[in-house]
Amino acid sequence: MIAQPKILTPEMVAKIEALAPRYPNRRALTLPALHIVNAELRHVPLQAVVEIAAVLGLAPAEVQDTLTFYQFFHQERPHGKVRAFVCRSISCALRGGDHLLEHLCHKHGIDPYGTTPDGELTIEPAECLGACDFAPCILANDDLLKNMTPETAEAELKKPRARAT
Amino acid sequence: MATVIVDGKEIEIGADERLNCIEAARLAGAEIPHYCWHPGLSVVASCRMCLVETGTRDAATGKISMMPKLVPACQTPAKDGTVIVTESQLVKESRARVEEALLIDHPIDCPICDKAGECLLQDYHFQHGQAERRADLHPFTSRRRDVGPTVTLFVDRCIMCTRCVRFTREVSGTSELMVTSRGAKEEIDIFPGHPLDNKLSGNVVDLCPVGALGDKDFLYQQRVWFMKREANVCGGCSAGCSIHTEHNQDTVYRLKPRENPHVNKWWICDDGRYGWHHIHDASRIVGAGRRASSSTPLESVEWADVITRLRADLKAAGRLAVAVSPMLTVEEAWMLCAVARSIDPQALLAVGHVPQAGEDETFPGGFTIRAEKCPNRLGVEGVIALFDPAVRSWNDLVSHVRAGHADAAWITGAYPAAWIDDDTAAAFADLKCLVVQDLFDSPLTALATWKLPAAGFAERAGTWVNVAHRAQSFEQAVRPPAGIWPEGRLYWNMLGRRGLYDPTAVRRQIADSSASFAALAGEIPATGVDLRIHQLASTTS
Amino acid sequence: MQPFTPVLLEAVGVADGQTIASYKSRGGYAPLERLLAEKQPIDIVEMVKASGLRGRGGAGFSTGLKWTFLPKDHPGPIYLCINADESEPGTFNNRILMEDDPHQVIEGIILSAFATRASTAYIYLRYEYPQSWNRLQTAIDEAYAAGYLGKNIRGSGFSLDIYLHRGAAAYICGEETGLIESLEGKRAWPRIKPPFPAIEGLFRKPTVVNNIETMACVAQIARRGVDWFRSIGVPADPNNPRDPGSYGPKLYCLSGHVERPGCYETPLGITARQLINEYGGGVWKGRRAKAVIPGGISMGLMTEAELDTPLDFAGPGKVGCLGLGTAAVVVIDETVSIVDFLHNSCRFFAHESCGQCTPCREGTSWSLRMLERIKAGKGRLRDLDLLAEIGNTMGMMPGSTICGLADGAAWPIKNAIKKFRGEFEDYIKRTNPQGWMVTDPVPALQIVGSH
Repeated sequence: MIAQPKILTPEMVAKIEALAPRYPNRRALTLPALHIVNAELRHVPLQAVVEIAAVLGLAPAEVQDTLTFYQFFHQERPHGKVRAFVCRSISCALRGGDHLLEHLCHKHGIDPYGTTPDGELTIEPAECLGACDFAPCILANDDLLKNMTPETAEAELKKPRARAT
Repeated sequence: MATVIVDGKEIEIGADERLNCIEAARLAGAEIPHYCWHPGLSVVASCRMCLVETGTRDAATGKISMMPKLVPACQTPAKDGTVIVTESQLVKESRARVEEALLIDHPIDCPICDKAGECLLQDYHFQHGQAERRADLHPFTSRRRDVGPTVTLFVDRCIMCTRCVRFTREVSGTSELMVTSRGAKEEIDIFPGHPLDNKLSGNVVDLCPVGALGDKDFLYQQRVWFMKREANVCGGCSAGCSIHTEHNQDTVYRLKPRENPHVNKWWICDDGRYGWHHIHDASRIVGAGRRASSSTPLESVEWADVITRLRADLKAAGRLAVAVSPMLTVEEAWMLCAVARSIDPQALLAVGHVPQAGEDETFPGGFTIRAEKCPNRLGVEGVIALFDPAVRSWNDLVSHVRAGHADAAWITGAYPAAWIDDDTAAAFADLKCLVVQDLFDSPLTALATWKLPAAGFAERAGTWVNVAHRAQSFEQAVRPPAGIWPEGRLYWNMLGRRGLYDPTAVRRQIADSSASFAALAGEIPATGVDLRIHQLASTTS
Repeated sequence: MQPFTPVLLEAVGVADGQTIASYKSRGGYAPLERLLAEKQPIDIVEMVKASGLRGRGGAGFSTGLKWTFLPKDHPGPIYLCINADESEPGTFNNRILMEDDPHQVIEGIILSAFATRASTAYIYLRYEYPQSWNRLQTAIDEAYAAGYLGKNIRGSGFSLDIYLHRGAAAYICGEETGLIESLEGKRAWPRIKPPFPAIEGLFRKPTVVNNIETMACVAQIARRGVDWFRSIGVPADPNNPRDPGSYGPKLYCLSGHVERPGCYETPLGITARQLINEYGGGVWKGRRAKAVIPGGISMGLMTEAELDTPLDFAGPGKVGCLGLGTAAVVVIDETVSIVDFLHNSCRFFAHESCGQCTPCREGTSWSLRMLERIKAGKGRLRDLDLLAEIGNTMGMMPGSTICGLADGAAWPIKNAIKKFRGEFEDYIKRTNPQGWMVTDPVPALQIVGSH
């Protein structure tokens, strides 16, 4: 059997371990560990789940159980370099949020939750982003895009953005 | 004592008994329906089927005040003055709604689902559900997902009670099962490459209230309403787990654990659960055979003749050594010793070979699988001690025979698997008369003068004593294949007793004539009796 | 109406208002220093109890009273969890507090931890607030550097660590035991109660969960006093000994079809109409309001005629809404179809239901599918009865579910059907002329990717 190269780098493991003194047990590191890996790789593949479980002393199924609950972590392939969450909750929907999502997906030729073939952009519906004062809005990586229209959103999402923290 | 009022009826529970309202109501004869609660697992109160009305009765005034809303009976302790109402209109409506909710997305699989006939979803639908479907129609059949070597999952039948997940986390400690996703899209699954593969895996099938989890061993083999079942004991190891043997027309189809708080609680291991196939193995020894000399083939002998000819052969041979297999019951062991001593009053009585495999293994929930892979060593030792205080071991017997101190040997086995090697068997090659009574051929049967069949565990009735000195009595579940007299029947007849073999009569006789087995005198409860209790009592009285 | 001078929002618009220097220049951290030096934890509990502060996270439970549920003389550790998961649709006041005045929140946390003898505070922060994450972490670092966090704070003998813990976009993590389970690394399935978190919470230790705005209020009560806090808002009804009153300033989030969406600070008790007209510039585009959400979508709907209801803890309940909730007021104008509103609500709750208990898991899914079918022109009048039944039976209040998400899912259904039934019936009859009267079950709509 060919040994799999490790997906978690020593730096990632060090980041996880640095948080260990904050909690009385290892299991509480699960969500922080998922974020640490996701921030680097833009997804958490199954192999990473196995490695996270080993670091935390848990069964892979326990980590995967938690991971899939959030409906947040991509697993099969990385999401786009820009991950655009388009809000569809009531305040944004009242100001065109659903239409915005539909327009952007159509424009880029992907379904909601999909990633463009060049790996640049993922468009996902999000529930209330907590920016109803600027509805409709989009969270693109760490940037809150306010008062979007289909045109301004298109222009914004063309811009390269720093990786999400 | 504490008084609990269930549907207007008062029942008493022990002052320090910790019961929930389901358990308390059961004592009053009211069965509160539930899916997710199980006494062996943590309480999650998520199915919401057990919602009842509760309240308290003031001890001084007798005034009853009821809670304004329904509460789950599984998470509500029954204390002194607790009032439980299980059949009010509110409760009935709540149950009907939970049933309806579970059936909205349930596949129309009853005709092809193993669980039909013992399915809680079906049962509660008829008892507590509503007649008409109100949700949209979308008939479909379940997807099937392989989760491991012993268990299969019909994904869409699952009602998310999470008993199976909790079992793997709390009882087996192996955490293979998980819930994936969120909300109505949740499913049970395993992590890819990490199947449900632990020694207690089959228990999740018992736990599943519906047909989502199935035994691969039992799948599509038999409809449950055709099966009868007997209270038995597993013969796989010295734990002596209580089981039910489920069978139809003398064919065993599956074993299920039987609740026994003193032994196995609600569980059995996979080796025990699936370890019954050997009794239907076509290569079992059938019929009695006798070899006139070592160079002639076995000739079959009618059983009626075996009784006399066997005795005659052994008498003629001289010094007898007997291996009393730890697979035999206490009753069979006692009769064998009696028969042996009636042939040779000096007959050496030894415990038969005690199979060992691995180490004792205790799981996080407390369940233990024993390394000693036979059910009745303690019982057999106890019986031999009644005849000879020097309770000899199998090794003692083999040395005894090798040293030439025996002319005849009667070796009983009934082991499910091969247990003797050529070397050890060769020790018996020079005997004048070798009787081997076993399930399968072996190097020993190849040397046998008399080759006799043995009974499989489900074909036996009698008593076994487990590692903790608990004696459990059980009934015969299936008849052995034609041509087989089980050990009990043969010994009964060789003792000259009339009529059919009656294990209870033998048990009573043993109890009446010995201190160590005195606890077996009366009715034995279904969960068995600790043999030492009586002895402790007698030393203190 | 005299505009209220912001207190909780005093740093909004102030250059570098989020820095420790700015906070201290406005009087911040002086109350903490004084109280740590002069008072005992019980004094802080009494202060907060006396103020009448009720939790700002949605339940409106008396904060000081909740603190007294902790066991006395517990060897510890005791945990303080700050609920910064703010995910109730329409709500964004916590975001503003964390971004623009994180030290106000932190001072409140330190005071609350001192009062409850908590040794560690975790701020459970929703993923979608990266700016809050950065601002809070910077502020926490500043607080450590200034000696307001860490061991033996200002020589008081009291030690506290504050850690940020990041969520992953699940609404149910805003439920206090869902938050606790998520923090512990498990799926966020709320726990059955009892035991309550004060007895057995995070890591099975005594735990208090408080909201961000509540923490800001604690800091302001410490600075300006109990009397000040009680001088604002709606006093308790003297004829009702069980009424705890609605004291203090409140952050109201106004959004939807108004000219000026935003977060506005006023005394508790402003009416929806006053908020919309005097702060929000009125309903947009010269239109009329059809319905207004009083406190986040879970609270249900008020009709235009009900807009003079005071938005205090008792008001919305009087017009059949679930309560004040997060005081997130969302205005829906007359051009919006009530069917679209309810579909949006049902879609949200079906997506966010944690799936643990049967009535919510199946009820939210069933109601979404009925709304999808109604929207698609295949609705029946009978569906309205089924929806009303779900609305009336699903929830923690009737006892059928483990947590209040189900009540939140049920209330918009309940209110919408009750208050706007005519519009539903018109829509159904108009769009499904052949089938609106059918009472037997109908084939399910084939939905592709409804979530």
